[in-house]
Amino acid sequence: MSSVSGIDGAIAETRIEDLVADKRRAPMRNLFQRLNRSPLLPEAGAGGAPLTAVIAVISSLASLALAAFLLIATAANSWTTELKSSVTVQVKGVDAAEIEARTAAAAKILAAAPGVLEFEVISSGDAAKLLEPWLGKGNAQSLNVPALIELRLSEDGRRNIGGLSESLRSIAPGLAIDDHAGWNDRLAAAARSGQALAFSVFALIMGAACAISIFAARAGLSANAEVVSLLHLVGATDAFIANEVQRRFTVIGLRGSIIGVATALFLLSLFALATRARGAEGFLLPGLTIGPGLAIPLLAVPIAICFVTAVAARLTVMRTLQETY
Amino acid sequence: MIVSFEQVGLAYEEGAESLRDVTFALREGEFRFLTGPSGAGKTSFLKLIYLALKPTRGRVTLFGEDVTTAAREALPPLRRRIGVVFQEFRLLDHLTAFENVALPMKVAGVNQHQYREDVRELLNWVGLGSRLDALPQTLSGGEKQRVALARALVSKPDLILADEPTGNVDPQMGEKIMKLFVELNKLGAAVIVATHDLQLVDALGKSIMRLEAGRLHEEAAPMRGRGKLR
Repeated sequence: MSSVSGIDGAIAETRIEDLVADKRRAPMRNLFQRLNRSPLLPEAGAGGAPLTAVIAVISSLASLALAAFLLIATAANSWTTELKSSVTVQVKGVDAAEIEARTAAAAKILAAAPGVLEFEVISSGDAAKLLEPWLGKGNAQSLNVPALIELRLSEDGRRNIGGLSESLRSIAPGLAIDDHAGWNDRLAAAARSGQALAFSVFALIMGAACAISIFAARAGLSANAEVVSLLHLVGATDAFIANEVQRRFTVIGLRGSIIGVATALFLLSLFALATRARGAEGFLLPGLTIGPGLAIPLLAVPIAICFVTAVAARLTVMRTLQETY
Repeated sequence: MIVSFEQVGLAYEEGAESLRDVTFALREGEFRFLTGPSGAGKTSFLKLIYLALKPTRGRVTLFGEDVTTAAREALPPLRRRIGVVFQEFRLLDHLTAFENVALPMKVAGVNQHQYREDVRELLNWVGLGSRLDALPQTLSGGEKQRVALARALVSKPDLILADEPTGNVDPQMGEKIMKLFVELNKLGAAVIVATHDLQLVDALGKSIMRLEAGRLHEEAAPMRGRGKLR
């Protein structure tokens, strides 16, 4: 039996049997770290920084679209509930005395009606005063301006509005009841189309995220062709390689989308501050506060983007690898 | 039977066949040299064995499995039973020497503390124990060669293929590497070494396959050098 002992040098010094022998030494903790931190695909190869930037922009846009969707929903809801519960009654008459008598009669009915939560009478005189800025002092008094009664209805009252109208009309045919239904419907329709638009923008952006991931995964694969080919030759399964790629893309997706959502939140807070500073908040955008109602759905954006990115990359890699031997 | 070729032909796209009617068999524990002029198809021949290329005709059987008809999913486990020392090393530049050697184990899903010591020992053994953390760019040609060698051996393969393993090292190291293959062969691995180095081939007295213009010629073990290096 021959041996290699005759040859000097590192290779010959240790016998091959020693390789197989289980010679455990003190655990080297840094080896663990070395293995854990090293991805099999190089950082730069999978389109690292540019892809992170693109995903940041995409998720920022997606967040803004989602925020628009949610804001329109909240705003439309507060507009319509406000409008739904309030009804305005106009009391007309030939002179002030008739208007006053009819108003008093109407007030009596309203006080007794079960569905009316509260009502406020704006007398003909007060209503005329409201017109003064336009008509000039004293000019409105001669117009016989109708008195107005502003009602707040309960849910039941809202449902039985027909009965209430009839009993009010029995006082006088000149009583006009406006339940804001037409205005309400138009607002709701506008809100719905606004929401649909915001949601389509959101869907389009998610589609773009998919397309970009597929593109980046392909580019990453061809940039890493040598690495992938070697992994393949040392016996890596498609799933193993796809996992590596997917892990890279998950990290990139998460990093990019967190930056993007943070940017979007920052922009939204600026917007909220600006509207509040102008006093427009309560009127047009009652829902624009960066509360949990907005923040929680927005935090779902990085998760969604990450998922979309990772899945798109994985499927692309699996399909590309299927074509190899 | 480790490898068998039956009437294997290999043509690259639209070109003439680079390998023609190759028939050969490699049994357990056999050691073969593969020689022939550059461009004769040595690398293609090895690629057919380590499943980097699919033959355009004929049948290739590996560890008893017909790889020309096998499902793709059946191939990775076969690849893991082969250790390849590539001619151009093919180390991954972003991984350290340790990580490069550990790659086949990682790919096979082996837990790192099971191979950590083996990898370290193996690198020690090829004289790179102090360079575990070195990136390939910082290694000399000979050092890279030895990392590539360690990577080919780490999974204790049943078949070792080496493409010009002595091409980048000095004659002394070349001799050591060849002796190593002989030792591994004694431990049970079948070995095919493609080489130009006829002196080493003669010295080891193993049987030789010669590729010329895409055709394979088998020769018996030469008698003249037998025992010289044993």
